[in-house]
Amino acid sequence: MLAGIEMAEAQRRQPSASPARPPASAPQPKAESPAEQTQRSQPAQPVPPDTAPRETVQADVSSRAVAVTSSFTGTEIVIFGAVDHSRQSTAESGLYDIVIVLEGTPTRLVARRKSNVAGIWINTHSITFESVPSYYAILSTRPLDEITNPLVLRENDIGFEYVRMTPVQGWETGVTTAELQEFAEAVVRLKQKDGLYVQEDYGVVFIGRSLFRAAVNLPANVPVGPLDVRVYLFRNGQIISTYTARVRLEREGLELWLHNFAFRRPLLYGIFTVTIAVGAGLLASAVMKRGAR
Amino acid sequence: MNIYLPIAEMSVNVFLFLGMGGAVGFLSGLFGIGGGFLMTPLLIFSGVPAAVAVGTEAAQIVASSVSGAVAQWRRNNVDIKMGTVLLAGGLVGSLLGVEAVKLLRQIGQFELFVALAYVTFLGVIGVLMLMESINAMHKARSGKPVSVKRPGQHIWMHKMPFKMRFHRSKLYISAIPPIAIGMVVGLLGAIMGVGGGFIMVPAMIYLLRVPTNVVVGTSLFQIVFVTAFTTILHATENKTVDVVLAVLLMIGGVVGAQFGAAAGQKLQGEQLRFLLAGLVLLVCIRIGWGLVATPADEYSISGVVGGRL
Repeated sequence: MLAGIEMAEAQRRQPSASPARPPASAPQPKAESPAEQTQRSQPAQPVPPDTAPRETVQADVSSRAVAVTSSFTGTEIVIFGAVDHSRQSTAESGLYDIVIVLEGTPTRLVARRKSNVAGIWINTHSITFESVPSYYAILSTRPLDEITNPLVLRENDIGFEYVRMTPVQGWETGVTTAELQEFAEAVVRLKQKDGLYVQEDYGVVFIGRSLFRAAVNLPANVPVGPLDVRVYLFRNGQIISTYTARVRLEREGLELWLHNFAFRRPLLYGIFTVTIAVGAGLLASAVMKRGAR
Repeated sequence: MNIYLPIAEMSVNVFLFLGMGGAVGFLSGLFGIGGGFLMTPLLIFSGVPAAVAVGTEAAQIVASSVSGAVAQWRRNNVDIKMGTVLLAGGLVGSLLGVEAVKLLRQIGQFELFVALAYVTFLGVIGVLMLMESINAMHKARSGKPVSVKRPGQHIWMHKMPFKMRFHRSKLYISAIPPIAIGMVVGLLGAIMGVGGGFIMVPAMIYLLRVPTNVVVGTSLFQIVFVTAFTTILHATENKTVDVVLAVLLMIGGVVGAQFGAAAGQKLQGEQLRFLLAGLVLLVCIRIGWGLVATPADEYSISGVVGGRL
């Protein structure tokens, strides 16, 4: 991080990069380590304008591990980063766009549709999706359609429309493609309603010519598991650099203990629960008796 | 103050759920009922997944029935032999019920089935109770003595094979009807998240002709064991017992029941039954409305239960 800022400062003192440089077309290799970065740009010699170092993005999250404990009521994750070799003069110049995608573990999910059968609403149709991200947030400096074209978004799975939803084998029976589409849309809609699919068009803000920041509120019902954070740097509608990070959401303390107990030793857990119940009942009757005297 | 429920996987307000436990506990103390048929729908309405509501409520019923069962036991109001026969049926019913829950969840029809079961049983029992209490109040007003129905004759089902002698109940009847009744109650209890006293008690009085003084004690004796078994089965088969939620409900329930029982002393039996009938019918209508009203969203999503489908 700090190295990034210094480099950006160093670059400002250099002769300004030529605007005639052709826009980078191929996306950069992901996640260059900061050490590599520093090493590469260590010799602070003036760089000729046409071979000026390409912009790269680096980012990190405010907390790499979030503990889901008994008092978990959701949390805020701050994603911050910097554009190395930034060529924009101020935070407002808008030369770059940043898109941040947070994606939860892909999980199996059933979507069901109700129909009215003899006056009663009954689940009549269902599709099982092989893997649907449990959580999905998109934050960007501008609305996605202003930043780039759908092709780029689709290629990189950015946006609710391009969330990977593969139905399990055998879905074809009795379901048309149009219906499948409706089911997929319903999944996104319901996930949005639960606050698990979030889109914030102006959620990323540049706070300097290279520094940017975004915050996302994870709700209390966020499914436990790792969240992959992908940061895309756009210029002229093209991805010129990406960076990935990860937030681990893990149960901790009593929460972890009870969950493991319930799922790993269910018989013992059942007996444990019954014992508590019997104890509570007996205790209550003992207290009651004393109170009656 | 919020607490995250480990199995329901949601963050809930502690005081809201303590209050819910307290309110239902008050009513169960007031009317002398278990309260499962109120608590389970209330949990579902407040966003707890239906299967977790049912599994967790089984644990709470254990707590609320134990103290009653012990009190009845001390007063020698439990027909242990009858209770054991009912229990044998109840355990089988519970086993079938928990399997049914598993299957219904897999095919996505569990919520529907629970709602239908509630509407049916609450509707029938609510109407019967309402009629009976109105009748009793009417008779009490006109000065006629309220007749206690208990013709001491045997009905056809008592003459089935495997006759047994139940000393405490002064009965010599076939073991098949009590086993069948226990089974039905165990099955419904496991699916609906109730103790089943509201079916067990009338069935014992009207079908088995068990003397009224041992009915409640024997029913409670059976309910404690069957719901304990159901809790363990839900925990192992469906993993839907939330111990944190259960403890919240138990605490609220125990406290509320004390106040309810005190308030119940001030009301007459017929009035109580009339109020209870009204409450039962209200819950029935509320659940029935959910079945027929156009849903806000025709679609719903859930995790895959049982791995595959």
